[in-house]
Amino acid sequence: MSDVPAIDVEHVTVSYGPVPALLDVSVKIPAGTLVGVIGPNGSGKSTLVKAILGFTRPDFGSVRIFGAPVERSKGRVAYVPQRGSVDWDFPVTVGEVALMGRYGNVRWWRELTADDRQLADEALKMVRMSEFRGRQIGQLSGGQQQRVFMARAMAQGADVLLLDEPFAGVDAATESAILDVLRQTKASGRTLVVVHHDLATAARYFDALLLLKQRVYAYGPPMAVLQPDLLSEVYEGQLQVFNALTAPRGRDR
Amino acid sequence: MSEWLDALDAWHAMNSHLVRALLAGSLVSIVCGVIGCFVILRRMAFLGDAIAHAMLAGVVAGYLFMKLVFGAEAHAPAMLFGSLLAGLITVGMIGFVARMSRIKEDTAIGIMYTGIFAAGGLLASLFSQYVHLDLLHFVTGSVLAVEMADLWMIGFVTVFVVAVVVLFFRALQLTSFDPVMAASIGIPVVAVDYLLTVCTSMVVVSAVNIVGVIQVVGMLVTPAATAYLLCDRLQRMLWASAGFAISSFLVGYWLSTAINVAPGSSIVVASSAQFLLVLAVAPRYGLISDWLRRRQMVPQQLVEDVLSCVLKALGSSVDMSVIYEHVAGQRDRIRDAVRALERKALLECRGEVVRLTEAGEREARRLLRAHRLWETYLQRLGTPTVELHAHAHRLEHLHDEDAVDYLDDQLGHPLLDPHGKEIPEDFVHLRLGATVKASLLRQGWRARVVRVVGSGGGDARIPATLQPGVVVSMGKRSAGGQLWELHLDSGSAVALDHQAADALLVEVLEAPRAETVGDSARSANRGDE
Repeated sequence: MSDVPAIDVEHVTVSYGPVPALLDVSVKIPAGTLVGVIGPNGSGKSTLVKAILGFTRPDFGSVRIFGAPVERSKGRVAYVPQRGSVDWDFPVTVGEVALMGRYGNVRWWRELTADDRQLADEALKMVRMSEFRGRQIGQLSGGQQQRVFMARAMAQGADVLLLDEPFAGVDAATESAILDVLRQTKASGRTLVVVHHDLATAARYFDALLLLKQRVYAYGPPMAVLQPDLLSEVYEGQLQVFNALTAPRGRDR
Repeated sequence: MSEWLDALDAWHAMNSHLVRALLAGSLVSIVCGVIGCFVILRRMAFLGDAIAHAMLAGVVAGYLFMKLVFGAEAHAPAMLFGSLLAGLITVGMIGFVARMSRIKEDTAIGIMYTGIFAAGGLLASLFSQYVHLDLLHFVTGSVLAVEMADLWMIGFVTVFVVAVVVLFFRALQLTSFDPVMAASIGIPVVAVDYLLTVCTSMVVVSAVNIVGVIQVVGMLVTPAATAYLLCDRLQRMLWASAGFAISSFLVGYWLSTAINVAPGSSIVVASSAQFLLVLAVAPRYGLISDWLRRRQMVPQQLVEDVLSCVLKALGSSVDMSVIYEHVAGQRDRIRDAVRALERKALLECRGEVVRLTEAGEREARRLLRAHRLWETYLQRLGTPTVELHAHAHRLEHLHDEDAVDYLDDQLGHPLLDPHGKEIPEDFVHLRLGATVKASLLRQGWRARVVRVVGSGGGDARIPATLQPGVVVSMGKRSAGGQLWELHLDSGSAVALDHQAADALLVEVLEAPRAETVGDSARSANRGDE
């Protein structure tokens, strides 16, 4: 069982027009890893996430979740939306968001059961958000908001979590709070795929990196991916200072 | 028995208009309130307006069709069906234009609904000899003119819409809140969108009877917006919105009979007044509470001044009168600041006597460090001594950790401020087990060498004896604070300059004896290791 990758993307090509968003992308992501997806704007990072989620259907190729086709794995993969795309004024409480994780397991004419509520409660406990159950989601700090959506993903019973730029537009304290949540989630055996834009932190945050621009340029341990010539090829000179990244940094262990 | 029935008949005859009007109005209010919640949360208000206008074409087309094909005059079901159809066609065309061209959705709505509305008007004028429609009724509506056929339609719409919302509540909630997640767990998002649009069209068509085309959006969004100001849960918002819709209908209806105006206008006026009232007084999202909250907010600066003042008592208690004397500001505000600090568990209050908690002392020392570092910085810049305190007092509120660390480093990690007072150590980074630059260590701290970083010539100046794993204790700073003296356990000593001390990373093992009490207590116990 452990040889079966959590996510197996095979020769996936997705297009929205004549230009492919993803071209022959093949990646195997083992269970229990925290993988960062990096690449310039418009490089297909979000498209890959949507393909793994089963939201975007590839023109060719297949996505398998623990060996089963993604079309038949609904609910096993959870999605944590980009912070900017959530309506934080929506009349919904922390407890209700966690409960949404159970919606996929209940037929539409049935009521949610006590078991569902308990699972949602447990998920909230896991991310230490139980005491905020009745709070409207806009009344939380950035780190807490992220935790609520992590709880929803866990209540869903998902083994694979996809996060779209969780660190975009947050301050340093929130960033480290979110990172803690990601690491805890990984420690519980789940697989996380995170779309990330900050090359400076990519090496410290992730077990492996996937460098993407339509096709896979590199996939492996961060230091192997963050090669200056590779990055300058992918980013085409948009960024110049790569050397500093690969040198050991001040606060590293 | 028959007497009773007669009485009932009589009452019917007398009141059937009133009963029909009240019943129709209440039912329409309920569905408007309920669907309106989804309309405002999905930002579809303009679409509701479009559907209402497009109805005109449907009404005229339905009228003409029945008249020309079957010869039936003003066939109500056909007109209703026509208006529903016109609404759906409009929505479909808006979606088509927005998806297939570079035209954005709001523009597409503007184009389509005026176009279809105008086409309806054109049709009505062209065939004016066949069409005997009271267009004014269509524009302003009248709850008093509700016919039995309308009531049946409204009843059907109510049952349909309420059933949809109850049965598909979770799907409607999730597709409104997070459509990507909804799709990922297998909810047919597009179908749910269409279902909601159909419901909206049906509700709009029935609401036009009551308030007319122009005001139908008010009926749809105002009660929902009113509820939105009060509710943090969608379910409660639906109930509240239906309630507000009914109350504004009843008040508006009463108003229309009391001052003899068209009910459509008075209903919408009542509902707007209701909204403004709630906007003012809503407990959380209202204007008054917002204003009160902002007024109650204690300025951070005052809070920090109080903290610093209490810290000067060196761990003992302080009477409130001392704080009033030393902190600038109104007594009430200072009292608010003290209360705010107590809530954050930074201060303990016993009657009129306050003292710092452990966290409070830490926070206060952080401020003190910022203040004294700013003073040192200002002195280096050549600020006159008399102005030092005043400037530093303003700048100490810039105590962002990175900014203060930068100052500390630029100044060469000074030990004393210009008044000769000790600058508290960097206790944010200087924690047991943490890896820090050796330059942050103060006298008496013990640490283990981890490694040397940087290549700016620093390596050469760090003696080979300081290998990873070697345990050192920090001695006195010498040469006017320019040299860091490290004592090795072997008994030898090494002196490092600022640059070298910055390049040496150490793991903090042990703090000086006599844990933090205050500046004076600490310095008295130095150097006995």
